[in-house]
Amino acid sequence: MLFQTKMLMGEVMREAAFSLAEAKFTAGDFSTTVIQNVNKAQVKIRAKKDNVAGVTLPVFEHYHEGTDSYELTGLARGGEQLAKLKRNYAKAVELLVELASLQTSFVTLDEAIKITNRRVNAIEHVIIPRIERTLAYIITELDEREREEFYRLKKIQEKKKILKEKSEKDLQQRRAAGEVIEPANLLAEEKDEDLLFE
Amino acid sequence: MPESAELYFNVDHGYLEGLVRGCKASLLTQQDYINLVQCENLEDLKIHLQTTDYGNFLADQTGPLTVSIIDTKMRKKLCREFEYFRNHSLEPLSTFFTYMTCSYMIDNVILLMNGALQKKPVKDILAKCHPLGSFMEMEAVNIAETASDLFNAVLVETPLAPFFQDCMSENTLDELNIELLRNKLYKSYLEAFYKFCKNHGDVTAEVMCPILEFEADRRAFIITLNSFGTELTKDDRQSLYPTCGKLYPEGLCLLAQAEDFEQVKRVADHYAVYKPLLDAVGNNNEGKALEDVFFEREVQMNVLAFNRQFHYGVFYAYIKLREQEMRNIVWIAECISQRHRTKINSYIPIL
Repeated sequence: MLFQTKMLMGEVMREAAFSLAEAKFTAGDFSTTVIQNVNKAQVKIRAKKDNVAGVTLPVFEHYHEGTDSYELTGLARGGEQLAKLKRNYAKAVELLVELASLQTSFVTLDEAIKITNRRVNAIEHVIIPRIERTLAYIITELDEREREEFYRLKKIQEKKKILKEKSEKDLQQRRAAGEVIEPANLLAEEKDEDLLFE
Repeated sequence: MPESAELYFNVDHGYLEGLVRGCKASLLTQQDYINLVQCENLEDLKIHLQTTDYGNFLADQTGPLTVSIIDTKMRKKLCREFEYFRNHSLEPLSTFFTYMTCSYMIDNVILLMNGALQKKPVKDILAKCHPLGSFMEMEAVNIAETASDLFNAVLVETPLAPFFQDCMSENTLDELNIELLRNKLYKSYLEAFYKFCKNHGDVTAEVMCPILEFEADRRAFIITLNSFGTELTKDDRQSLYPTCGKLYPEGLCLLAQAEDFEQVKRVADHYAVYKPLLDAVGNNNEGKALEDVFFEREVQMNVLAFNRQFHYGVFYAYIKLREQEMRNIVWIAECISQRHRTKINSYIPIL
């Protein structure tokens, strides 16, 4: 779109320069008259902001102000060519304004794209690997701890087993020595002498 | 002297008339124009011009050649020839020459006034002035503060003074639009020139008066056409029409009332001379432009002036034809340098 506008700009400027030559042919040299009567600009530009995909772009809009102070130039000779010349250059100026808007938005968008690209690259190649590494570390740590826990449990079981064996042995020894009195077993079927009637 | 032009003319002016006829013979012909049109760039153009009477006028030009350089050099050459004629002339031919320079002086004065009022440096403006219209008091322009000061101090000495007096009544110089002033001055100049030629009588009057009448009418037509759509009132417009032409008085009244091109054409239909000219004008891009049609007629009349002898019109005609030739060459040069050859043949052929 920008390319087409630039090509069109080339054409329009060429046309305008040629109509200047035509006007000079008929009206003589009016350049000094024009230069000396310059006071205020007739075509002015306003800048507005436009938001595209989150990027604020400046947009230029032209407006006319004041009257044409060159209306009577070329009254005696070449007025028609001068009018054509004014029209051509006005068209050229409008096209230039449009081109300016397009160019600035192009440059701004370009900047925005570059910034976004850099962020994407950074995230992709720096942040994510960092997090992944952290994840992997955490996982290894957890695995380690689990293994530690497991090992600890096993050790404790072994120790308990040894303790239990030891106390069994002890008990048997004391039983054999007759020092242990078996507590009464509620569940055993024994006759109770105190009972008279069965 | 009424009928004795053939007897007494050559005593005072024969040498100059012979010289001007020789110069006229060196105007570019159709063949030269065809050669120029076929040039590829400005260097080629320069080489072709060397074979004509222009000779080596660009020979000492170093650096890249531009159209404006060609234009200035051609104008300098024309000025040299004109100055030569003027320096060797006697009365009343010298007054005639002074009248011829008045139109350039008017342009220069307008430029100077504008520049002085805006306090621009005088040297820049002097460089832009037309050399044929220079007068002695030009550098003194910057001492004036307002336009009326300017008039009283400087312009009163120039031959333009009576023209200014026609236009101004009570010091209205300050408020007048610069273009209106220029056209009013030109109108009084044209009328004064016409009176001078008529009073001189005999062959000069017979040759010059139709040319000046045509110039007056042409200005009237063009001012009318160009003032459609501007803020120029009808009365203002009428005050700008020179009254020494065929259109005076009825045609000028009708023109002042005209609102569009059709009405102007109807006015021209009343006059047998102008009817075919305005009929040849097409609409917008087809056909010829009105200005081109007028240029062609002017060239025609100027060439016819050379068919008679013993009058001053040959000098006027020669200068005008040279100017047209300069315009043609500049046009062709611009078309070549801008590579825009579609309209390169719309120069005005002279011979």
